Amino acid sequence: MVETTLKIKNKSGLHLRPAAEFVKKANEFQANITLERGGKVVNGKSIIHVQALGVRQGMTINLRAVGVDAEDAVAALSELVNNKFGEE
Amino acid sequence: MKVAKDQIVAMIKEMAISMAENKIFLTELDSAIGDGDHGINMDRGFRKVLERLPTVVDKDIGSIFKNVGMSLISAVGGAAGPLYGTYFMEFGKVAEGKEELSNGDFKMMLAAGLEGIKRRGKAVVGEKTMVDALEPAAEAFAVAAAEDKAPLACFQAAVAAAKKGKEATIPMLAKKGRAHYLGERSIGHQDPGATSSELVLRSMLKVLES
Amino acid sequence: MVGVVIVSHSLKAAEGIKEIAQQMGRDVPVAAVGGTADGQIGTDPLAIKEAIEGVMGSDGVLLLVDLGSAVLNTQLAVEMLEDEGQDQVVLSNAPILEGAVVAVVESAMGHNLEQVKKAAEEAIHMEKLL
Ligand SMILES: Nc1ncnc2c1ncn2[C@@H]1O[C@H](COP(=O)(O)OP(=O)(O)OP(=O)(O)O)[C@@H](O)[C@H]1O
Ligand SMILES: [Mg+2]
Repeated sequence: MVETTLKIKNKSGLHLRPAAEFVKKANEFQANITLERGGKVVNGKSIIHVQALGVRQGMTINLRAVGVDAEDAVAALSELVNNKFGEE
Repeated sequence: MKVAKDQIVAMIKEMAISMAENKIFLTELDSAIGDGDHGINMDRGFRKVLERLPTVVDKDIGSIFKNVGMSLISAVGGAAGPLYGTYFMEFGKVAEGKEELSNGDFKMMLAAGLEGIKRRGKAVVGEKTMVDALEPAAEAFAVAAAEDKAPLACFQAAVAAAKKGKEATIPMLAKKGRAHYLGERSIGHQDPGATSSELVLRSMLKVLES
Repeated sequence: MVGVVIVSHSLKAAEGIKEIAQQMGRDVPVAAVGGTADGQIGTDPLAIKEAIEGVMGSDGVLLLVDLGSAVLNTQLAVEMLEDEGQDQVVLSNAPILEGAVVAVVESAMGHNLEQVKKAAEEAIHMEKLL
């Protein structure tokens, strides 16, 4: 398992569009990807679940990946989050 | 006794007249429990029917009814479009290749049309829809036809049953269509679709009476 | 990619939903259809059929509808398609806007018709007041 903690810096948080970007990227990997916030764990490849986490600007989430390409998945997703999904 | 093609064409024209005359009435009924467009929809549909009628009058009765069905499907715009469209398409299947219609043909048409509407809309009697008028009408027609009555008498029985069925929709709670969204508020109003169904059958009767 | 057709009583509504959904994946084929042939509020099965044909590819098409006659006329439109086409379109019970958004995301990820349909239908559970 590869795990990291990420701080959400973009304005709208993991709202619909960023959530969509996230799951699209997550789906490029084979690894099982989950997100956790406040004890709630969701499937990181499902748009409904990711946006339902209610992640807003300033919050932190735990990103976990299990599988052959877990390392790459976490790296790519972290980059996406840290680059604020190309948003402000 | 058979009903000739020119009378069938006259029936269809009569339906169009009836829908134009009752446009406001049907729309008022639909305003109470729907979106207030049933009369507008039916009138628009039957205008299309009239516009296309000349292109098929020389064909068999089946083709004429199928054309009515297709015209309604393409022009009505509301739920009544696919429902009446299916109704007349089913008429057309029964009347395929025919130049005149017997009681037995009408009986089958009314039954097949009803089945088509039920298949498409999934409504049964008691849900405050056109089925509440068309089902008793088809049954009454079949009973009268079994007694060997003339088409005129069979249609009289069918229209009387449709009228009763339509009136019976007043106290019903709607379970299908837009009125369904209103829940209890749909009670106490006559269903617009059941009303137009009676008018359709009454238009057919009118031609036989004249 | 799975195509998406949005059927509303209002063409404006359908086009607006399309606009919102396509933000999620520009390359996904999405068609908006609505209103009667003469521009009134309603639905037109022939127009719906054309819309389906317009986005039909080898991966099939998901159909999203608003209410009442949109359902009946979409079913009718499907029956009017060529036989091969009929097997490749599915009508979904998804909420039209949320469903369209999710469907475009799913389609953009290359998911198949069944997966796209399932995800779109789950959109009914989408939380808005977080
Ligand atoms: N599922 C159904 N089965 C049978 N009849 C139905 C069904 N849904 C609606 N109807 C009939 O259609 C009538 C309303 O027709 P109308 O042309 O006004 O459609 P509408 O309800 O406005 O359509 P829309 O769904 O586009 O709003 C109702 O009064 C009812 O008799
Ligand atoms: Mg209406």
